[in-house]
Amino acid sequence: MTTALQLTNGQRPDGVPVLAAAGEIDMSNADRFASALEAAVSGSDAALLLVDLTAVEYLDSAGLATLFRHADRIEVVTGPLLAPLLNVSGLAELTTVRGL
Amino acid sequence: MSGTAAADVFAAGGDVGRDLAAVDWTQTPLGPPGAWPQSLRTAVSILLASRFPMWMAWGPELTFFCNAAYRRDTLGRKYPWALGRSANEVWKEIWGDIGPRIENVLSTGEATWDEGLLLFLERSGYPEETYHTFSYSPLRDDDGELVGMLCVVSEETDRVIGERRMATLRDIGSDPSVIRTEQEMLAFTAQQLGKNLKDLPFTLTYLFAEDGRALLASSTGIAAGHPAAPIIGEAGGVWPIEGPVRHESALVELTGPAFEALPGGDWPEPPSQALLVPLLRQGGAPYGFLVAALNRYRPLDESYRGFVELTAGHVAAGIASARSYRAQQRRAEELAELDRAKTTFFSNISHEFRTPLTLIMGPLEELRGRVDPALREEVEVMRRNGLRLGKLVNALLDFSRLEAGRMQARYEPVDLAATTAELASVFRSAVERAGLTFEVDCPPLPEPVFVDRGMWEKVVLNLLSNALKFTFDGGIRVSVRADHGNAVVTVADTGVGVPQEEMPRLFERFHRIENARSRSNEGSGIGLAMVKELILLHGGTVGAESTHGEGTTFTIRLPFGAAHLPADAVAGSSGVPAFPSGADPFVQEALRWLPSGGEVPVEVPAPVAGDPARVLVADDNADMRDYLARLLRSAGHLVTAVGDGRQALDAARADAPDLVISDVMMPVMDGLELVAALRADSRTVGVPVLLLSARAGQEAAIEGLEAGADDYLFKPFSAAELLARVRANVELARLRNHHTRWRTALVEQLQEAFFVCDAEGSVIEINKAFTDILGYGQEGLPYRPVHPWWPDAASDADAHAEVSDAFDLLTTHQHGTYTIPVTHRDGHRLWVAAAFTQVRDPDSGQQVIVGTFRDVTDEHYAIQRESAVASLSLRLSQADDLPGALGGALAELRGLWHAGYVSAAVFDGSGAPAFHATDEELTWEALPQARRDSMAALRDGPPLTAVSEQLAGAGIALAHPDGTMVVWLELGDRRPFTEQDETLLALLAGHLGQGLRRVHQIDQQRETALALQRAILGPAQLPAGFAVRYEPATRPLKVGGDWYDTVTLPDGRIGIVVGDCVGHGLPAATVMGQLRSACRALLLQDTGPARTLTALDRFAALLPGATCATVFCGVLDPATGHLVYSSAGHPPPIAAHADGTIELLDRGRSRPLAIRPQMERVEAEYRMPPRATLLLYTDGLVERRRQPLTAGIEAATDAVRLGRSTPIDDLADEVMDRLAPAGGYDDDVALLIYRQPGPLELEFPAEASRLAPVRSALRGWLERCAIDPVTIQNVLVAAGEACANAIEHGHRDRGGQIRLRAIATAEDLRLTVVDNGQWRTPREADNPYRGRGLMLMRAFMHHVTVTTGIAGTTIDMQARIVP
Repeated sequence: MTTALQLTNGQRPDGVPVLAAAGEIDMSNADRFASALEAAVSGSDAALLLVDLTAVEYLDSAGLATLFRHADRIEVVTGPLLAPLLNVSGLAELTTVRGL
Repeated sequence: MSGTAAADVFAAGGDVGRDLAAVDWTQTPLGPPGAWPQSLRTAVSILLASRFPMWMAWGPELTFFCNAAYRRDTLGRKYPWALGRSANEVWKEIWGDIGPRIENVLSTGEATWDEGLLLFLERSGYPEETYHTFSYSPLRDDDGELVGMLCVVSEETDRVIGERRMATLRDIGSDPSVIRTEQEMLAFTAQQLGKNLKDLPFTLTYLFAEDGRALLASSTGIAAGHPAAPIIGEAGGVWPIEGPVRHESALVELTGPAFEALPGGDWPEPPSQALLVPLLRQGGAPYGFLVAALNRYRPLDESYRGFVELTAGHVAAGIASARSYRAQQRRAEELAELDRAKTTFFSNISHEFRTPLTLIMGPLEELRGRVDPALREEVEVMRRNGLRLGKLVNALLDFSRLEAGRMQARYEPVDLAATTAELASVFRSAVERAGLTFEVDCPPLPEPVFVDRGMWEKVVLNLLSNALKFTFDGGIRVSVRADHGNAVVTVADTGVGVPQEEMPRLFERFHRIENARSRSNEGSGIGLAMVKELILLHGGTVGAESTHGEGTTFTIRLPFGAAHLPADAVAGSSGVPAFPSGADPFVQEALRWLPSGGEVPVEVPAPVAGDPARVLVADDNADMRDYLARLLRSAGHLVTAVGDGRQALDAARADAPDLVISDVMMPVMDGLELVAALRADSRTVGVPVLLLSARAGQEAAIEGLEAGADDYLFKPFSAAELLARVRANVELARLRNHHTRWRTALVEQLQEAFFVCDAEGSVIEINKAFTDILGYGQEGLPYRPVHPWWPDAASDADAHAEVSDAFDLLTTHQHGTYTIPVTHRDGHRLWVAAAFTQVRDPDSGQQVIVGTFRDVTDEHYAIQRESAVASLSLRLSQADDLPGALGGALAELRGLWHAGYVSAAVFDGSGAPAFHATDEELTWEALPQARRDSMAALRDGPPLTAVSEQLAGAGIALAHPDGTMVVWLELGDRRPFTEQDETLLALLAGHLGQGLRRVHQIDQQRETALALQRAILGPAQLPAGFAVRYEPATRPLKVGGDWYDTVTLPDGRIGIVVGDCVGHGLPAATVMGQLRSACRALLLQDTGPARTLTALDRFAALLPGATCATVFCGVLDPATGHLVYSSAGHPPPIAAHADGTIELLDRGRSRPLAIRPQMERVEAEYRMPPRATLLLYTDGLVERRRQPLTAGIEAATDAVRLGRSTPIDDLADEVMDRLAPAGGYDDDVALLIYRQPGPLELEFPAEASRLAPVRSALRGWLERCAIDPVTIQNVLVAAGEACANAIEHGHRDRGGQIRLRAIATAEDLRLTVVDNGQWRTPREADNPYRGRGLMLMRAFMHHVTVTTGIAGTTIDMQARIVP
């Protein structure tokens, strides 16, 4: 049994590809999140992938690791819940995090 | 050249390497280090890396390198100048020595070796004497050519010089025994100092003369009379002698005309400095001083200065020893001279005596035959004393002849056994008349012994006379035996013996043993000395063995045959005198020592003018005694005559005479001592004493009068003079003594003890009652303070202090009374009540203190008994338990008797007894066997009967709850344990036995109650979030009826009960147990608090003792903090909110149990806010005497408020501590604490899939704790990371479990994650992002600690809760 996580690929109206996650990301499902992010990044010619974490209620260091790995190709959208984590972890310094 | 290359070569060289690198190598033939051949680079790096001192030279100019060790030991100021220079420049001053050696190495390729080579290095600014052991070995370049040398060197300067100085010191200190005179000593020292011209190029030894000038006594390395070595040293001269006079050393620069052309010792150049050191004399001015010229090639350091000072010390010691030897020798010579003079004098004087003696004795013998019987007595006296004088003169003469070696012996073969027996028989009648046995055991010897008959006679007679003189009981034994070629003659007595310390001087002439008890004080002290000399003349030996008080045995050994004797003095047997010729004087003298046996004729007293006086005569000489008696009787006086001072004193005390006439010199007690004793005794203080002495002179008379004698007469004196003096003294005394006698008689008749003290407190007069009470008699007067009856200051300080205070009162007040403890002469303790007053002595005008006292010992002890029983009873009543009671009682006994310790052994019939002692270190096993035996014997004896042991202590057996107890008082010192003490001990032991039984009963009840209480108190496993305490009352330790309880109900709610039954001890505990069980059962039926209490009402009404119990009963939902409760008269629980707000749960309250059981009970509800703390308690916590209950509740409220952020277990302790009264709780206390919500405790397998449910549970708990959402998220991340980390460990170790525990207090959160794996140190290579976990924990929690042990890893995290 893995922690509940829904991943949805999409596109913003301006054509920027979006990967939206909902639920919790921890070490039990971080691989799935990583694969999805990998696929989204490599499957697109766009310069940036928008990772939407607004609906993520929990993110641990395994999930953070995935974000760090693709830091130069992604932009992150988050809500107030994850904001301290993304700040403290230093991700916000490497990539654009919106919704802080 | 590259800097790196240079650095590489010198890298290992430290400071030296750095300095080498700084050298401009381009200026040397070696060029830049970068271009150096490998061989050079290798050599340099070996050199630098070595810790052994080395230097090397390389290349055409032998360029110099060295390492740090060489720099330190040898190079001195040449560093760093020397680096990179050519070796012959560096070592210019010794190039002559080392140049050829280096050349040899470079030309032959063979290494050199030098050991301890002297080299004058100029490394410190002057040429320095140094020693080196070194080897030069060749260095080759890359092509194998010889291009340099390496020197491995060890500098040995300190060793070589140290050994040299040591040798000098050793030599001057060697064999001082052969040196006799100062001159010899100085010559010897000079010879030794002259061997070390290196350290002491020259020395001068000056000794101070009496005029303050210094005279040259010896010199080394320089000729006496040299300008620098004047024969006479004076102030202002060549050497500054003022320094040594003041015990100071001085350093002298050797410049000036006197120091030109100085000798240089072993050195080419003369010394430039000299050190002047005083030759110190212990406790006096110095003997002189030593000038030590100094080695100019060595610095004057501590070691050099020390060497010179030690040298001077040796010289001074030698002078001291020689001078002391000379003084001793001179003294010995003077003594020998004195001895010779004395012998000559005795010899002459004895001769001079013999002539007149002969002229007296001759006519006297004739007179004896013809004389009128009426004059016979007087003539006999004359003859006997003439004989005695003759004997003494002959003995002196013999002795001086022996001394001078002029005694001519004539040795003839003699039947020694028969001869000795004959000589002994002469003494038989005298010995037997003295009441002694006399055994002569002389069986024939196998061969004759060569002796001079006359001398042998003197030997035997002297020994027998000596034996008789000092033997009072038993007997004298003479025996002759053959033993290993010797004739052995022994004369043994059972007399007074000789003290051990006198034995070595026994045979010394003129030596007399002072104060020995003897029949006569007469004697010259030469008898035994002469015996020894005579036996030596016979080639024999004489020895003595003696035990003081038991007797003395003299043993003479004479060899058989004549081989050991001078041939010209040996003669054949003459067979002459059958009867000893010189025995008469000895026997006559001995007989006069013995009691006369009524020989003195009783004479009718002639009438005398005035009243006849009673006169006591004391003289050890029987003739003198008889003469005086006759003379006085003829004058009409009543005479008692005795032989020594002791007898005289006894006689005078028994019946005081009108006059005492005493000789000064007497055995046992002499005349002066007699006077002192008479004057010290009030009964005889007024008896006049007339002293007689042969010792003429003013001083003797003054001595006698000072002692208290009334008059003094020198022998010889005329009869008329004596009688006149007697009459005068008697008359005077009679006048003086009349009223004194009356007063004395009055005082003696007093029933109370009477005493008179002088102003200083010395007791100067006492009466008979005084002696009866204290045991101290008049013979000891005066008794000076501290008086002997004072209790000992060391062993009985309190009593001593009491007496001391009383004494102050006595000496400083006009009058007063006091009661004090005193010690009887036999050691037993007395109590006396005294009254005193100060009066002025009408005779002397001095202030004296007159006092009386009586023995109040019995009264004192009666009071003491009563108070001892009272204080023991008090001790027993204060005890909490049996050991406490016993300990208190033993301490009481110890204090009462001031015992060293008091112990008690309880024999319960099994093995070793239980042992208690006031000395806690003491154990039964540590007691001496004798003590254990005596205590065991007491156990088997009758109970309550005190048994004391002399000088040890006393014991008693009594009943103890566990068996028989034996108490032992160890008194230790010489304090007697009196009958009074025994009575008191028995009385106290009786009380103690009863007291112990009573305490034991209480003890047993309490133990049962406590066991019961413990057994029935609350559940062993509390629900999470609870802490409880129960504390019995401390004094006396009482269990009560308080209890707490928690009951987990089937639906997860928890029943909470705290109650308090009325009363204490076993009954209350029993009631409590039943109420508690009933309450528990009711709660489990889900009856609710009010209904539970109502049911308990009915139950309690049926249970004796349960009425009026108070109970608080509640049901708590731990999930919500919702509490339903009802109180049966119980104090209100206290709730402290997280913000410090306090609420008392004082609703739902009604009467205690079983009071109006029909009435309904009410219920109340309370919702505990998150992180609130609830305290339930019984009234023991808050109830204090003379204090309203509210004050106690407020104190408890403060404690909970302050502790609302403390973990509850610690809080429980804190509350108990803070509220405890100073002496501990005097009622029992039950306590229950709960904090909402209880801790979260989760245990789950180490699997990633468990993370989400764990988070969910933790989130729920945190919400119950009312934590804000941001903090919740932070805590969840931190906890998630900790768990993720634990899972990673768990994955490695299959089947791992993880435990998470979360606790909230008012202001803190604490999370603990424990796994059984290994902490993984974050490593980038494994997982570059995993390391973020710890970072996140630290970022989101206030405090994180990771503890890794063998069993697993614990992550402990804390966070503050923002209100």
